[in-house]
Amino acid sequence: MGDDYPSMFRSEPMSSVELYIPREVAHDTVTELGELGNVQFNDLNPNVNPFQRSFVGEIRRFEDMARRTRFFISQIEKEKDPIHIRPLSDSAPLITVGPRAALLGEHEARLLQMNESYKTLSERTKELIEARYVLRETAVFFDKAETQQGEVRSSFDDSSAPLLQYDDRETQHSSTLQFELEFVAGTIERSHIPTLERVLWRLLRGNLYMNHTDIAEPFVDPVTGVETRKNVFIIFAHGESILAKIRKVAESMGATLYPIDANADKRADSLREVTARLEDLQTVLYHTGLTRRSELMIIGENLSRWQDVVCKEKAIYETMNLFNYDVRRKTLVAKGWCPTRDLVIIQAALRRATEESGTNVVPILHELPTNKTPPTFVRTNKFTEGFQAIMDSYGTATYQEVNPGLFAIITFPFLFAVMFGDIGHGLIILFAALYMIANERKWARSNLGEASACGRYIIFLMGVFSLYTGLIYNDIFSLTLHLWRSGWDLVNMNGMEVGVPTGRVYPFGLDPAWRTADNSLVFSNSYKMKMSIVLGVTHMTFALCLQLPNHIRFKRPLEIYTNFIPQMIFLQSIFGYLVMCIIYKWSIDWTTRSTEPPSLLNMLIAMLLSPGKVDPATQLYPGQGFVQVILVLLAVVCVPWMLCAKPYFEWKEMQKIQGQGYVGLDHHDGLRHSTDEALENEEGGNGQAAIEQMEEEHEQHDFGDVVVHQVIHTIEYCLGCISHTASYLRLWALSLAHAQLSEVLWSMTLEGYLGMPGITGIIALALIGSLWFGATVFILCIMEGLSAFLHALRLHWVEANSKHYGGEGYPFMPLNFAKLDEKE
Amino acid sequence: MEGLFFNVNNGFLEGIVRGYKAGILTQSHYASLTQCETLEDLKTQLSATDYGNFLANEASLTTTIISDRATQLLVDQFNFLRSNAVEPLSKFLDYITYSYMIDNVVLLITGTLHERDTHELLERCHPLGVFESMPALCVATNVEELYQSVLVETPLAPYFRNCLSAADLDDLNIEIIRNTIYKAYLEDFYEFVGTLGSPTSDVMRTILAFEADRRTINITINSFGTELTKEQRAKLFPAIGRLFPDGNNALAKADDIEQVRLVCENIPEYRSFFDNSPGDAQDLGDLGIAAQLEDRFFRTEVRLNKEAFLQQFQYGVFYSYVKLKEQEIRNLTWIAECIAQDARDRINDYIPIF
Repeated sequence: MGDDYPSMFRSEPMSSVELYIPREVAHDTVTELGELGNVQFNDLNPNVNPFQRSFVGEIRRFEDMARRTRFFISQIEKEKDPIHIRPLSDSAPLITVGPRAALLGEHEARLLQMNESYKTLSERTKELIEARYVLRETAVFFDKAETQQGEVRSSFDDSSAPLLQYDDRETQHSSTLQFELEFVAGTIERSHIPTLERVLWRLLRGNLYMNHTDIAEPFVDPVTGVETRKNVFIIFAHGESILAKIRKVAESMGATLYPIDANADKRADSLREVTARLEDLQTVLYHTGLTRRSELMIIGENLSRWQDVVCKEKAIYETMNLFNYDVRRKTLVAKGWCPTRDLVIIQAALRRATEESGTNVVPILHELPTNKTPPTFVRTNKFTEGFQAIMDSYGTATYQEVNPGLFAIITFPFLFAVMFGDIGHGLIILFAALYMIANERKWARSNLGEASACGRYIIFLMGVFSLYTGLIYNDIFSLTLHLWRSGWDLVNMNGMEVGVPTGRVYPFGLDPAWRTADNSLVFSNSYKMKMSIVLGVTHMTFALCLQLPNHIRFKRPLEIYTNFIPQMIFLQSIFGYLVMCIIYKWSIDWTTRSTEPPSLLNMLIAMLLSPGKVDPATQLYPGQGFVQVILVLLAVVCVPWMLCAKPYFEWKEMQKIQGQGYVGLDHHDGLRHSTDEALENEEGGNGQAAIEQMEEEHEQHDFGDVVVHQVIHTIEYCLGCISHTASYLRLWALSLAHAQLSEVLWSMTLEGYLGMPGITGIIALALIGSLWFGATVFILCIMEGLSAFLHALRLHWVEANSKHYGGEGYPFMPLNFAKLDEKE
Repeated sequence: MEGLFFNVNNGFLEGIVRGYKAGILTQSHYASLTQCETLEDLKTQLSATDYGNFLANEASLTTTIISDRATQLLVDQFNFLRSNAVEPLSKFLDYITYSYMIDNVVLLITGTLHERDTHELLERCHPLGVFESMPALCVATNVEELYQSVLVETPLAPYFRNCLSAADLDDLNIEIIRNTIYKAYLEDFYEFVGTLGSPTSDVMRTILAFEADRRTINITINSFGTELTKEQRAKLFPAIGRLFPDGNNALAKADDIEQVRLVCENIPEYRSFFDNSPGDAQDLGDLGIAAQLEDRFFRTEVRLNKEAFLQQFQYGVFYSYVKLKEQEIRNLTWIAECIAQDARDRINDYIPIF
């Protein structure tokens, strides 16, 4: 069915194909097929280690190129002024593959060299800057020390004896020789200052005077771009060995020491010298930076194209690694799956590949008969993709099974809307979806919102259906619409407002008069509860019916008689009857009847517990007791039918086979082994992998398994019918909660402020109105919408899918260049 | 009872560490690693494991880079655990780092003694045992100074107190210092896990007891033919372990490997360490036996650490994970080294973990 046009009803028919590709055209062939994106290649060398395959060398080369492009990207990112990387869509296509590796290598080498020189230059600059800082800051120390000698020393007064002695010596020195103290000066990372101070203090037993100041600006490492903050320190101490110790400690803690002269004039000289050299260096540095930048600009022009090509090439060679390479005949043998429909297109692609490679050897493609289960492939477009994804995340459909994704396109938004029914909220999400759809192309180009790409159409349909159910519930932000004249007139009777029917019937949806009624909740509860039962049983019956095409397709008539029919009777005799009763009860005007309206819940319980007895005061229709007995009997009969029929027929079948003289599977095995060997000799082991997989497909059918499976299935189904029907009551519960919540929100915020007069009224209305709108969007549309979404999801996955869905397939994963980016 | 509240503070980290443990290379990984022809192959193989792309951005591969990167992964994981831990687990994790600190301290003093470049030494230090004032170690010329200037503020200070008597820093003394500190560390750790209560103490004491015995036996064997006196030797033995006290006493008096073997005979589990077929013993000589012994010690350590994962609600898993991962890095380095030096016949001498 549907052979002329692809449908979503079943997955695509697939063909197992074998390709003989001459080595020369292999690359072009795989490129073409990858662009086409509809062939899935099987691994023909499952026993070969990844690094022992034929094209490891090429893959490694491209991995290296990928590393280079990553290096370029990191370099470009580190550049302070952003460099434009030309997007893929703008760049010119690259035609030849060969020289690119060399080109990349060249660029890398140049860049590395420039980085290297840039780095050494920056290091030099950094050192000079540090030296300048040290000179400047120490000058401050010296100046301070000279002017405030007295104060500095007096601060040591209360310390211990050696310090004082030291201090005295210093006084002598400084008084006579104007600061002949020995010292060490340098820079060190700020975080190391306390440690350095502590270690030195302990090491020299306090015989030192240390001073340090922060360098305001951070130093940036030219390669890594990490900022470090440093301090200038100067340590005064006395004695050569002590100074040597200080130097050693400071250096091992990562400090840089600078020779500083105690003489102020010499310091000024060296400061000038340093500044001059710094200026020179900075010019050089600037030019190096400029050349580096222009190099990066050139790279940026082509970078995304390179990335793309490298990515593709890697995928191509990885695919070619899956092939069987026959060195003698210089051909690659590939096996895989492709949709039968696309065979022609693939043939054309193969011819194109041959033309492009300029040879006249054509890759040969032919179909292989196989008993393996092909992968499941459902053609989707951007509209159906999201719905199919919902079903695929439950389980991939078995090959050629009825695909519930098709029906979910309507049922999913509908069940969602039953819970979310509100015209206002529906409009909000509808406009949100329309906005997303309108911007689809723009976002797709800038790679924004890929995640919600397929979701926007689901949201769109959810909005449309919410609008519809909202009209039925007559609910707009918990208020009602008076589209037509109400079917009730309010008449004052003994101080109470009572609705009197006018004889008109409200044409569509709920009568707005119900909103103000005292018993509106009772009414809408009863209505929504019954409605959810009706919808639930309908949905389950429909899902059950989907078994039928499966059984017919896979030629399992036994399943129809032993599973489908009894299941259907069981469901209909109890719950189908309940639905009939609900509709019948709705259609009767009970005010004109002599009997009381029966409680349908009690009726159902009584039907099962005391069959045949119906209280005539509350009976629905005459002869009810008899009908119910028949229905219960039917349901009861169905249980042993489901339980025993299938195992019995299976057993009979087995007896028949054994009666014909077949014994087990061992007999076949011997035969197959001999053919295996023959095959191996013929193809040099090429086909072995395929055959091994075929053997796995053979499942041992044991009678015990069949019985156990059937028992579980029956129990699950019978209990499931009850619990699943109850589960559909969530439609009622959620729609009730949604309606009540929006009503509470309305009455708590906006309702009280609507009639307020004057300017305060307008301001209050604006404030409260925005509060109300925010809460409506976030709580009611997003949070409630999410919960309704999840419940709709569950109803599809559990309640509906359990009735028919096998979901034992595996997805079709073709080599597709368009999807490579997503994997990265 | 201990299981009742364990997860309040430690459940998350135990989960993490057990997850990490699931990433330890298995026998089948090793089987494919040993088939590699070049280090590039090794990189390809490792990228399929939990190591992932840790070498993806390295232009050229050497054994050192592989082991450095692998160690870095371990250190990152450990730091993650450490920064998420609360008392007493945080203290327990700190205790794990102390042994690396001891190694680093000894490495630095030895290096300084032989006048090696300080920065080179610092790079060789194990990143788990790095502490702030570590670089200052290289100025110390005697033990007293070492202690007073640097170690006094580290957690190792209490362990150091016992060996302040050794005056000069020479190779033998450094070795004595190392073993004294390690003995003190082991004993302290042993006591600490005791305060954590069962089952942590049960698991950890088994491991630590073995660690202590291993050191005792190693010290004994290594001291044969050196100037270390028997009294000094006895002082270095940790006062814990299954050999303690009888075995330790006997080992202190031992003169050759045969006597060590006799002592180990008393412990059923240790019997296999010296279990040679008689023909081999002559061929190997003392050195061979020691090498083989080391290998068997590692195997036993791996087994004990693996067993630690069988117990729930205890801290032993953290210690064991670090040790197992360390062994794995040793294995990787070994395999990489064998590949790099083309010594394929010895490539299978790694110690399998799982």
